[in-house]
Amino acid sequence: MTDTQSTAAADHRGSRTTDVVVIGAGLAGLTAARELVAAGKSVAVLEARDRVGGRLLNHDLGDGQVTEVGGQFVGPTQDHILALAKEVGVATYQAAVPGETVYVNDGRAKRFTGHTPPDLFALPDMGIALARIGQAAAKVNPAAPWQTPDARELDGMTYETWLRKAEITGDAVDMINLFLNSAYGGEARDASALFSLWYVSTFGNETNPGTMERGTGTTGGAQDSRFVGGSQLVAQRLAEELDGRVHLSAPVRRISQDSTGVTVVSDAGDWRADRVIVAVPPLVASRIVWDPLLPAQQDQLFQRLPFGTLMKCVAVYDKPFWREDGLSGMGLLRGGSPIREMFDNTPPDGGPGVLMGFLGGKEWRKWAHRPAAERRGAVLRCFAQVVGDRAFDTIDYVEQDWTAEQWTQGGPTSVAAPGVLTDFGQWMGRPHGHVHWAGAEFSPYWNGYMDGAVRSGRTAAAELLDRD
Amino acid sequence: MNHYVVTETAVIDAPLGRVWDVISRTDRYAEWVAGAIEVTDHHGVATVGKTYAERNRTLGPLKTDSVWTVREIEPLKRRVDTGTGFAPLQDVTNTFEFRPVQSPDGRDTTEMTYQVEYTIPLGPLGLLLDSIQQPAMRAGMRTSMANLNTLIRSEDSGTGRR
Ligand SMILES: Cc1cc2nc3c(=O)[nH]c(=O)nc-3n(C[C@H](O)[C@H](O)[C@H](O)COP(=O)(O)OP(=O)(O)OC[C@H]3O[C@@H](n4cnc5c(N)ncnc54)[C@H](O)[C@@H]3O)c2cc1C
Repeated sequence: MTDTQSTAAADHRGSRTTDVVVIGAGLAGLTAARELVAAGKSVAVLEARDRVGGRLLNHDLGDGQVTEVGGQFVGPTQDHILALAKEVGVATYQAAVPGETVYVNDGRAKRFTGHTPPDLFALPDMGIALARIGQAAAKVNPAAPWQTPDARELDGMTYETWLRKAEITGDAVDMINLFLNSAYGGEARDASALFSLWYVSTFGNETNPGTMERGTGTTGGAQDSRFVGGSQLVAQRLAEELDGRVHLSAPVRRISQDSTGVTVVSDAGDWRADRVIVAVPPLVASRIVWDPLLPAQQDQLFQRLPFGTLMKCVAVYDKPFWREDGLSGMGLLRGGSPIREMFDNTPPDGGPGVLMGFLGGKEWRKWAHRPAAERRGAVLRCFAQVVGDRAFDTIDYVEQDWTAEQWTQGGPTSVAAPGVLTDFGQWMGRPHGHVHWAGAEFSPYWNGYMDGAVRSGRTAAAELLDRD
Repeated sequence: MNHYVVTETAVIDAPLGRVWDVISRTDRYAEWVAGAIEVTDHHGVATVGKTYAERNRTLGPLKTDSVWTVREIEPLKRRVDTGTGFAPLQDVTNTFEFRPVQSPDGRDTTEMTYQVEYTIPLGPLGLLLDSIQQPAMRAGMRTSMANLNTLIRSEDSGTGRR
């Protein structure tokens, strides 16, 4: 042992030692830990909450049934999450329920089938919008969006400005906002145009370039399938496999490193490790005490990657009564409506009936601070526009507001305003000494999604093993 | 000067106190008043002499900004406001009146009378205009009271009332 090493060891007497500490037991951290254990490393996963899964959370409906109040959908090209789920024995099922979808505009409800809402005014514009977005997103390299031709110009304006410049009018912008309401927990005016086109470019894999249609689609798209037993089960199975290596209620407060390794200070004690993988949301990572400090650019970047504002609202009924009326339970609601998008979230074996709506972005900002009963009423009135007045006859009603979660701080993912990607984007995944990064926000494919989380966990583990 | 009074009545399936609480909230009109797109300024629970403002839908795609002043409050009975911004309608007075009634199956419900008074100058043209706008106004008032009924139902659902 050299002198410095013995000093460091003395400083850290009482701390447990391990090859690698992984911070965060979401899909990214758990995947990274699994890979490292498979490669023969000793690993400790430190998780702030008293549960695993992070942004994946099952809500117990009783009788062994669950419904999800965090991330839930998966689909084609999300190869990493699909393969991982299979490996840990979690099956998928088709999310779409047969029946008509309801489109609500200006208080009037229209039923339709297929992917195209029955709106003569919005449709032509929507077609133009999709074509323009497709062309522009195809020019973005998902691994390096700042290299896009005209990157600075695109990053100098909001997505809404870009859409309007492309002669896309209010109706189509509102339809795009309908998607962003849940995808960003925000709207087109919150994000940079470059960020938004890059986001679309990530809706694919190495062989299938990202498209808006895949991102917004139900069957065949990102909302194609769900997990039997709920998405959190994937995380729970991973944690079981890790067999005692996951430490709950262990929020990490401080990360210090020197040439010999890293000391991680948590509420459940200190760990000393050769290397660390931080797999927590970027903004949350910037709130850990860093010694030495993060490179200023990286810290600035993380501070500029806040999550959107998103709540899931879930109403439970004795049965999915809307199915008898030939309805799928899916609804698309135009501007002004608190809920913009809703789905039938009934468990796969058909009961109890569950409707889930996203309260996101501007609507979250309007309703989150209102008394709970008033908000619930507004949500149920939206549901009633889609499935009729029986929507009021709930047996349970649950909300999960991700902005109120200390270890997530919003949802579903980071949204970058103008200037962030071109000025700071390159600092995203750069290792900081012995510290590596993982998390859905660090993935070039399905960024912000479960698949991105799994990918990032694998990439971070591989990078770490490579440096050894 | 043509003076008009338009009155509609409906039964709201909720006790009077509950109805009164909702209609007293000047921040909530966009949630039940047909044609109120957004409340742009408000003072919470209505207070005599204070104002609130709305963005309203008028005929067809037209929108207008209106400002209302609360004129009279007789708790649990009557509320009178006057409004500006509805040209060509002038001297617009909006009155809500309430009366507790029992439903046939013995529930406490509320009879609501919704009245709008206004003038339209413009002589014969005013008459013509009113013949176009009055049916829409009546329909809006009926829709508003139906919306109020639904709003209260939606907020009380799941609490065992039904
Ligand atoms: C409402 C909602 C709907 C969504 N819908 C979908 C969907 O349908 N499909 C999809 O693919 N994705 C969806 N997502 C996104 C998806 O859930 C996430 O991309 C994915 O779960 C992220 O995994 P992660 O491991 O990167 O991060 P997280 O799940 O956020 O995990 C990070 C973990 O780190 C822990 N942590 C934070 N700080 C500390 C600390 N200081 N010390 C220790 N631990 C810490 C947290 O508690 C957490 O467990 C949705 C998200 C939300 C919120």
